[in-house]
Amino acid sequence: MQALQRIRLSLALVIVTMLLAACSGASNRALRDFQVQTPRPFGYVIGDTIRHRILIETRSGMALERNSLPAQGRLNRWLQLNEISISEQDGGDGKQYQIELLYQQFYAPLEVKELSIPGFALRFRQHGQTLEQPVAPWPFTVAPLRELVVRQDQHGEYMRPDQAPSLLNDRAIVQRVFMALFVAISIVLRLAWLYGYLPGLPQRSVFKRAQRKLQNLGLQQLSQALGALHAAFNGLHGKPVFLHKLAEFYQSHPEYRSIADELAWFFDYSNRYFFGDASTMPQENDLQKIKTVCLHCREIERGSR
Amino acid sequence: MTSKQTLSDWRASALQLEQQINRVVVGQQVAVRNLLIAVFARGHVLLEGQVGVGKTTLLRAVAQGLGGQYQRIEGTIDLMPADLIYYTYLNNEGRPCVDPGPLLKQGEQLSVFFFNEINRARPQVHSLLLRVMAERSIGAFNREYRMPHIQVFADRNRVEKEETFELPAAARDRFFMEITIDTPGDDAVLDDLMFNPRYHDVDALIGEMAASQIPYYQLNDWAAGIQHSIQPTPALRKYALDLWKATADPLAFGIKLSDVEMDHLLQAGASPRGISYLIRAAKVRAWLENRDSLLPEDLQAVYAVTMSHRIFLNPIYSYRKDELIPTLIDSILNQIAAP
Repeated sequence: MQALQRIRLSLALVIVTMLLAACSGASNRALRDFQVQTPRPFGYVIGDTIRHRILIETRSGMALERNSLPAQGRLNRWLQLNEISISEQDGGDGKQYQIELLYQQFYAPLEVKELSIPGFALRFRQHGQTLEQPVAPWPFTVAPLRELVVRQDQHGEYMRPDQAPSLLNDRAIVQRVFMALFVAISIVLRLAWLYGYLPGLPQRSVFKRAQRKLQNLGLQQLSQALGALHAAFNGLHGKPVFLHKLAEFYQSHPEYRSIADELAWFFDYSNRYFFGDASTMPQENDLQKIKTVCLHCREIERGSR
Repeated sequence: MTSKQTLSDWRASALQLEQQINRVVVGQQVAVRNLLIAVFARGHVLLEGQVGVGKTTLLRAVAQGLGGQYQRIEGTIDLMPADLIYYTYLNNEGRPCVDPGPLLKQGEQLSVFFFNEINRARPQVHSLLLRVMAERSIGAFNREYRMPHIQVFADRNRVEKEETFELPAAARDRFFMEITIDTPGDDAVLDDLMFNPRYHDVDALIGEMAASQIPYYQLNDWAAGIQHSIQPTPALRKYALDLWKATADPLAFGIKLSDVEMDHLLQAGASPRGISYLIRAAKVRAWLENRDSLLPEDLQAVYAVTMSHRIFLNPIYSYRKDELIPTLIDSILNQIAAP
């Protein structure tokens, strides 16, 4: 009877042990996954960068100790860690880490040489306990950039020319330059037209010329002054402008309607001066008024009034 | 020198006459103004236009307005010069008599002489008329008859060319103005002309005009007074000279017509008589506008009526006369600047 009980007990123990063993399987390991992804281990030259990626999946409650990673900066004489980034993601009942390490090596070998990125140990912590996971050193080979014996020409210079730099894509810039040029030229042309610099279109500068003539004329040359302004009006209209035909003039040049009173005065004054009796003596004031009329016409001509 | 006051009084009478005529002949303000200018410049007038636009009525209204004696004659193909001077008939006693004809009957009192349809009369009649118009006198019955106040108004219609005699250049040049009468363009005027019975009886219409304020026998003195009262300035003389020269040589003034060889366009430009008529007309216009100075606008206003019939085109272009002459006149006025 005791023997039977002993057998049962031992059977139960076996089953419990087996069950425990089944439960504690892989999922119970502290690190469920640990991968180091590395690039090709050969064909590097001075200045090349090497990217390592470490993928880790941990049991929940495990935390990566970040200071167990190598510090950014120079690791040794020829190796530098340029970038280090850690991304952390909660997944299932654990955590996924992705660690990116960007090394740059500055070793200038004389011939193909094997170097090694030093390994380190990642530490995880759980409930005050520490778990270490080593990252193995990573050997790779570097090659020299040029031959050991430098070929030199008679001037003592290395013969191989520098590679021509590739041109940047400048299509957009060139397009914009042309557009800006087009706008600038149009503005210049418009201004030239307004200021009457275009020889083919002299009518925009008729009052400018009249103004220039008027500047040097005194009261003694009143007839010339009137004539100059008349010539300007006639030139602008394409045919003689008279007092009684001002309405016709305004129809083709409505912008001058704004100084209709002044123009009526001018044409009436001119009529009186040239065709009326000579009893009214011209006064200095009159010449000034004529110049003012011309100035206002010039402003309208320029479009600034 | 006529005083300003007198001139002003004359102007008032003249404008009153113009108003009265405009009431009788509606919608012809421009033509009436031109006729008025001709009256006060003592020039003979040729009216031209379509049939039935009121040419004769207009002339009758002017004659009524001026007072004095008037005579009219219809141009026909068998009209002879003698018909204007005398007519023969048998009197009550059966004796042949010779009496003065229309031109002579009124003697010096004749102030207006109508010549209806002048282009239907023969050239012989035209030549008689030339003398009357130019010299205001005529030789008949072995003596000279003077008609110092005569003003000849003639009209012709533009529609028919059959059985008509084109006026010779000399005759046309003696006309002070050639006025074109067109149908009025204003709808209100046309409506009035259509439906108002006032226009049915021309005699009654003319009778509406008040008696004249203008003594016809003083018109010559008035005209002289007006001409003397207005003195053109050197600038205007220059302008008028340019206007004249341009009728003879438009090309020199940069005038070009489309589709015309300007070198060959003209046979003759305006005559000295023509240009003096232009200035006379312009002065009268200035007076009517109440100005004592002559302005370019006066010359421009009367340029077409006084110049159109004095510019003679080369035969090759004469068939386009109706189109070319107004264009040429316009171009001259639009090309020559003053000052």
